[in-house]
Amino acid sequence: MLEFIKFELNYRFQRPVTYIYFFLILAMSFIATATDVVQAGGSGGKVMENAPNILAALMLAIMIFGIFVASAVMGVPVLRDFEHKTDSMIFTTPTSKMSYLGGKYIGSFLTLLFICSGILLGSMLGQAIPWPWLDNADRLMEFSFMNYWNPFSLFVLPNLFVFSSIFFAGGALGKRMVVVYAQGIILFMGYLAASQFLSQMDNQEMAAWLDPFGFGALSVVTQYWTITEQNQNLIPFVDSILTNRLIWLVVGILSLVLTYFRFNYNQAGMASKKTKKNAKRAVQELVNNIAIPIAHPSYNLQAQLTQLRSLTWFYFKWIIKQGPFLFIAFAGICFLLILGLTGGAGGYDIEVYLTSARAVQLIGAFNLFFIIITVFYTGEIVWKERDMKMNLIYDALPFKNYISMASKFLGMVLMSVFLLTVLMFTGILLQVLKGYPVIEWGVYFTGLYTDTLALMTLYLILGLFIQAVVNQKFLGFGLMFIFYLSFLVLDELGIEHAMFYFGNAQLGTYSEMNQYGHYVAPFSWFNLYWFGLASVLYGIAILFSVRGLDSKFSIRLKLSKLRLNTQASLTIIAALLVFVLSGAFIYYNTNVINEFQNSEDQKDLQADYEKTLGKCESFNQPKIIGTKLDVELYPKSRDFTVKGYFLMKNKSDEVISEIHIQEPTDAQLKTTLSFEGGAEVQEVFENFNYTIYNLAQPLNPGDSVIMNLETDFKTNGFTEGQSNNDVVYNGTFFNNATYFPSISYNGSFELSDDNDRKDRALEEKERMMDRDDPSGISQSLFGDDADKITFEVTIGTDSSQIAIAPGYLQKKWNEGDRTYFHYKMDVPMVNFYSIVSAEYEVITDTWTPPSDTLPDVALEIYYHKGHEYNTDRMMQGMKEALSYYTLNFSPYQFRQLRIMEFPKYRGFAQSFANTVPFSEGIGFIQNIKTENIDLPFYVTAHEVAHQWWGHQVTEAGVKGNAMLSETLSQYSALMVMKKKFPQEIIKEFLKFELNSYLMGRTFEKKKEMPLELVEGQGYIHYNKGSVVMYALQDYVGEDSINVALSRFAADWGFKDAPYPTSADLIGYYRAVTPDSLQYIITDMFETITLFENKTTKAEYELIGDQYKVLLTIDAIKYRADSLGNERSIPLQDWIDVGVFAKGSNDKDSLIYLKKHKITGQETKFEILVDSEPVKAGIDPINKLIDRNPKDNVKEVELKEEEAV
Amino acid sequence: MNLSIQNLSKTYPNGVHALKGIDLEIPVGMFGLLGPNGAGKSSLMRTIATLQEPDTGTITLGDINVLEQKDDVRKVLGYLPQEFGVYPKVSAEDLLDHVAVLKGIVNRKERKELVKALLYKTNLYQHRKKNLGGYSGGMKQRFGIAQALISDPKLIIVDEPTAGLDPAERNRFLNLLSEIGENTVVILSTHIVDDVRELCTNMAIINQGEVLLKGNPLETIKSIEGKIWRKTIEKDALEEYKTNFTVISERLIAGQPDIHVLSDAQPDNSFESIPADLEDVYFSKIHETLNTVQA
Repeated sequence: MLEFIKFELNYRFQRPVTYIYFFLILAMSFIATATDVVQAGGSGGKVMENAPNILAALMLAIMIFGIFVASAVMGVPVLRDFEHKTDSMIFTTPTSKMSYLGGKYIGSFLTLLFICSGILLGSMLGQAIPWPWLDNADRLMEFSFMNYWNPFSLFVLPNLFVFSSIFFAGGALGKRMVVVYAQGIILFMGYLAASQFLSQMDNQEMAAWLDPFGFGALSVVTQYWTITEQNQNLIPFVDSILTNRLIWLVVGILSLVLTYFRFNYNQAGMASKKTKKNAKRAVQELVNNIAIPIAHPSYNLQAQLTQLRSLTWFYFKWIIKQGPFLFIAFAGICFLLILGLTGGAGGYDIEVYLTSARAVQLIGAFNLFFIIITVFYTGEIVWKERDMKMNLIYDALPFKNYISMASKFLGMVLMSVFLLTVLMFTGILLQVLKGYPVIEWGVYFTGLYTDTLALMTLYLILGLFIQAVVNQKFLGFGLMFIFYLSFLVLDELGIEHAMFYFGNAQLGTYSEMNQYGHYVAPFSWFNLYWFGLASVLYGIAILFSVRGLDSKFSIRLKLSKLRLNTQASLTIIAALLVFVLSGAFIYYNTNVINEFQNSEDQKDLQADYEKTLGKCESFNQPKIIGTKLDVELYPKSRDFTVKGYFLMKNKSDEVISEIHIQEPTDAQLKTTLSFEGGAEVQEVFENFNYTIYNLAQPLNPGDSVIMNLETDFKTNGFTEGQSNNDVVYNGTFFNNATYFPSISYNGSFELSDDNDRKDRALEEKERMMDRDDPSGISQSLFGDDADKITFEVTIGTDSSQIAIAPGYLQKKWNEGDRTYFHYKMDVPMVNFYSIVSAEYEVITDTWTPPSDTLPDVALEIYYHKGHEYNTDRMMQGMKEALSYYTLNFSPYQFRQLRIMEFPKYRGFAQSFANTVPFSEGIGFIQNIKTENIDLPFYVTAHEVAHQWWGHQVTEAGVKGNAMLSETLSQYSALMVMKKKFPQEIIKEFLKFELNSYLMGRTFEKKKEMPLELVEGQGYIHYNKGSVVMYALQDYVGEDSINVALSRFAADWGFKDAPYPTSADLIGYYRAVTPDSLQYIITDMFETITLFENKTTKAEYELIGDQYKVLLTIDAIKYRADSLGNERSIPLQDWIDVGVFAKGSNDKDSLIYLKKHKITGQETKFEILVDSEPVKAGIDPINKLIDRNPKDNVKEVELKEEEAV
Repeated sequence: MNLSIQNLSKTYPNGVHALKGIDLEIPVGMFGLLGPNGAGKSSLMRTIATLQEPDTGTITLGDINVLEQKDDVRKVLGYLPQEFGVYPKVSAEDLLDHVAVLKGIVNRKERKELVKALLYKTNLYQHRKKNLGGYSGGMKQRFGIAQALISDPKLIIVDEPTAGLDPAERNRFLNLLSEIGENTVVILSTHIVDDVRELCTNMAIINQGEVLLKGNPLETIKSIEGKIWRKTIEKDALEEYKTNFTVISERLIAGQPDIHVLSDAQPDNSFESIPADLEDVYFSKIHETLNTVQA
């Protein structure tokens, strides 16, 4: 065996490709660590770039390339002997199968280890030395070899073994390289599928096991790691990682065993020739007297078309009969079915209706794999004749040069269409299986046969071009890969325009409301552009493709001149013209009539803005007190105009003469301003759309002035990248902050990322103002432009649409093909309003308040036709929310409440005065079953709660503000849900909230804040907020909390500055909390407190007809700092202890639940219950923030009698 | 329609000088190209078959400039390469049909008839449905000739067609060739002298990229008639004979070396005169080049 190993190693190390692979891997690892080209796996902010789990993610990403190298290295050793036909020579020598296979395997594996050691060396090299071009000293910790070795040994090494074994088996048993590629793709798909499952909470374990790379397992184990833990902990070899590694090691070993037993050493080369020739010689002699008929060859166009068709069909049949292709296609269908049938996909694991658009989106998850199949088969098909050694016959046949390439191309296109059609029908099958059989053929055809097919075709042509020109199969594959990677480099160089990214044409999100909408035009133009380029490449491919034996470039150049006839030249010139002209047209659209700015320039501009105008922030300015607007919307051309005025009042004690106006920066917008009484322009900052006016008549304290406003928004052609989703054909939705001028310097334009700031010599910036900052307390969360305003608006829109804004409808009328809506709010409201217009269906209802003195409230839901699935739930949500809040907090301040659907480009709902725009994607198309969390109901209740928390009580725009609006809305909605739904649903909901909070800590870039100082961190104010508030009302009592909130609303509602902060609200909480529980306020709001509670032992014994449950509980309480450093603190806490018994409907039900005071880490309990216990434990329904909520409860076992 | 080759030279990128100024006139009929392995036969034939570019020289077929009007050559060409593969999972009938389409026989009915006839002709009819992967070497070779004969070619190039065939198969193959060689240019390259003797009206011997001899086989035999002498000798004496005489060939007969010597007069009376055959011509020419190189 040693001989074979030596031979293999000698062979490998004499071949340059071994070193090429090594340096490629080394270079990739180096580039990934020593430059900013790649931002791997969640580093950034305070998580260091050389933290073990960041390095693990990076190494695993490189392993995805490694899998191709592994397949190339491990697939060939046995295959080589077949291809060089040395098999029979070796197999007849007196060597054993074991030493042959073992030698080949070990030799190749050692080679692969050498190559992949580049990952380790490259990443260490990239970070051990402070490279001069990289200013990242503060993003690196002190160098530690273990940080690299730990992920390398845990993931890269086992992966290499597993992949090697599988590929070796594939090569030795399959005897063809494509089998090995197919294996590679299947493994890659395993990774893709796993990453899908990973996002579904209940499937995480499966994802962790399934993923051959171990990425899923890594994510599951480290998902709750805080910044400090990420920086300090090595990745442990436990839980999912242990299981995953063992499963795949077994797979690897089994592959080797299988190879050994199935490999036929004696006649390996003859495997495909089962039939021996047993010619029937008797018949042979009949022959020779037949004349060969004269056939009439023709070479005209019609003949060429026949040839093309015939060859195309021939190649198509060849590909789809290939085992690997069938295998991949079959695996694709299986994965699609698995994803479709198991995937909830929506938040809280709630199933989104499987519309055709979503089926297309699911299929789109395989886009990368489509590109991979295309690239591999491109290589195979270009080399088919040569691989089969039929090229000499074939190349001397009298068909035109273009026919060969064209038929290969068309055969592949046919293959793509076939694959997509199969997947389309799989998608339709899924729709039927999932009970949503509304088949929108148009969506399938557009999504698959234009978008996906175009992408596949472009890569197909690129593949043909590269294969034809470089004329070396594997080099071609390598170049394709480098080409794909080069996008990253372009991005790093600041070249971001889509015209530089081959094949980039975005069809955008499909919204049922707006369909593909305004994305169709840029999509079509970009495709025209790329196909122009592709046709040129294709022409060159034909001219330079090898026919015959000469592959020397000079000879091919000579031959290409012979091939370049007038027709060919004209075709290439025409294609070139299409490319250049469509490119020019795109450039004209994106860069001439619209503005294109790459992200670095944009950041520079933001930094300049701060440096130039930051000093204006605290200038004394008047406040808006009234707004009246006439809006003309033109949905078909996506334009609008606004005429109107802001009434501004000097609320300060000083005279104001300078007025600073920040106009919106959108390039499509033109704003003209004028002031009542006149004003002259004092200074203009054109770059920033910032103007300082000097009023002709200075504004005395208490005086007002009218600022007239004319705005013209014009959509011209199309823009690069993400285009405007606010003003669309059907489903316009925007708010005042985006398109209307604001007063003075706007702090939200400043750069927020600390790295970006550092690069531009700006100091780190706090995300929000301090809680006691006087200027913060004097302004609300809606900004310092206004306190409350009076509001009136008239909107004109297309007659097919309904336009909606805050306020009550005063009048509606038609003028020609336009309809006008006049809305007016009769009480002052916050300076935050929306303009919405779409084609709507409407449902109306009325809510009658529980008190006679309050007026009825008109309820309306405006929705897209066909989206009526959940409107009843929303209506119900509005009613029950209004009732609960009115009863428990304060009366509802308006006489009307409306929900209107907007396209799913954005996935949220937002509360404006008596108006709630609600995204198509988060409530209208969910399939809610009884066991699900009722998302539409819940979101509705949350948004309705904002009418109180935000609109009635408007908080100060300082740290902790969201605890007053968002956390309170979470609490309010949770209480409405608690009233309506069974305990299990609430528990399920809280489980998601806790998970999101703990995950959110992992992704924190800067610092985790306690709830009372939250800085716009959703995982804290929404997710932690839900958990904490649920526990608070459980500990203190729902009624007491509601009393606190109603007092808070009474004291702070409908008030101008100073605005309340979290300190104020906590005062109300403390007032209703008994002394013994005051500590929970500290734990929940003022600090970051976590628990690690678990049940270590649970037994019971029979005492008479009662059961005595004996529990041993382990409890630890932690305090964490903003980076996640945790230290345990003494326990003096009341915590639930509970016992479950088998309930009536086979579900476990709580038969005992009581808070016990726990004062030490280990506590023993004895609890007497009446029925047979099944499970018991501490904090059984997870009210506390527990880092591992799954081990709180344990099965209770009958105690064994101790031997006496 | 003559095939005319002038001053054809080719050096491969690895430095091998495969063709050195070849001049040949090949008339209608069977033309034998004789030479040992590596003589440049295949390079020459591939160049004629439009598959390879020479460094210098011209080739014309009638009015056609072979090196530039490749499409026109291909329309009248039937080519059987020395080594070729087939798609293992396709049947002979299907692949032949496929090639026929590419040769421009787009009329389905015509093509069907033609394929059928060719399959009969090459004695493959009963195996027509079988995948080519299961064919023996001889069957594969016959398939090769069948595809070369599609569409009535005016120029047929067969490169080492009889290598690896058993004697019966070889005979059948040569018969088939001779049948079509009557009004077509057929170039048969081989290192087996008997192939040429049995079939060809014209021939050339090439070695190391050069034409050593061209002409009618019978006439070339005449040129050495009476100059070939034979003797059976002891093994040990072989080297001695080689230094003293022009030993053009040696073979073992019953374990004893049997040598042929080229000489105008009888070297000594232990040699017996034998009638010259083409093989002697061949070996004498090869021997000449060998000596030139050694000198």
